Amino acid sequence: MAPHSVRGIWTALRYRGREGMWSWILHRATGLGILAFLIVHVLDTAVVIYWPDFYDHTLDLYRTPFFRVAELLIFFAVLYHAVNGLRIVVQDFWPAVMRHQRQLVWAVAGIVGVAMLPIAWIMLAPMLGLAEEPGGERHRARAGTRVEAPAAAPRARPSAPPAPAVVPPLPEARP
Amino acid sequence: MSGAKGRGPARAGGGYGRPAGARGGFETYSWFFMRISGLFLIFMALYHLVWWNLIVGVEHLSADLVRERWTNPFWRLFNVGLATFAMLHGLNGLRYSIEDYVRRPGARLAVKMVAYTVVLAALAWAVFALLTFDPAVPRAAA
Repeated sequence: MAPHSVRGIWTALRYRGREGMWSWILHRATGLGILAFLIVHVLDTAVVIYWPDFYDHTLDLYRTPFFRVAELLIFFAVLYHAVNGLRIVVQDFWPAVMRHQRQLVWAVAGIVGVAMLPIAWIMLAPMLGLAEEPGGERHRARAGTRVEAPAAAPRARPSAPPAPAVVPPLPEARP
Repeated sequence: MSGAKGRGPARAGGGYGRPAGARGGFETYSWFFMRISGLFLIFMALYHLVWWNLIVGVEHLSADLVRERWTNPFWRLFNVGLATFAMLHGLNGLRYSIEDYVRRPGARLAVKMVAYTVVLAALAWAVFALLTFDPAVPRAAA
């Protein structure tokens, strides 16, 4: 096993497969990464039914900076695997485009790279205080419909501290 | 590569070519399955990611929100389909990788058995949870 593996890595590093090789490596790496995440994700999400308190507890973990960056990496992995997979399907069923396979690899990189800019902004900027959390407006609108407050009345943001309770002053002297 | 059984010379052309002269058989169906499930997953998985990460947002996610979504049987069936396509597509990709890197027949069989067990158990768990979910049962009693 060991000599095989070592030779495989050295061969891979020396091999100059250019665009086709790197897109193949990235497709395989993202695919295996997504599968590993998917197994954990499915086990974790099913506890919504059986142990919802534990699910809410894990969500606190997913809101930490480490997991937010990890979530962005998962988004990248799925997006790259999807667009590169589409390239593979197009090349398989339309062999004429194989003449331009290098340009197609760069087109995939361009599409994924450009799409990742706004996605990274939406997912990471709130952590740095540069933008609001995604879905904030939707969340407030839904919270408003649940409370059934009058539509015209201004509503406090959920994150705002609650108004101090008005304590009626005690009568100074009793009869 | 002569030691690698399974897909044989079909992988020589970079791994994605259709086996020359192949007619039917498991590997041809596997090849078609990867493309058909892949096309479905492009839309289903990207929709799933955009919805929960960009439209709902992890900050507003909660067990109650997921349970509310799952009161609609369409979304439970959507998730069954997404989990099934993704797990089987991923398992077949993992099988490709095992056949590429694990050369000894005994080790290859052992690694495959572990991989199939883990992935299919996770898929069974997901499908069972989604299909037996009863929105009428309140959260506290669940």
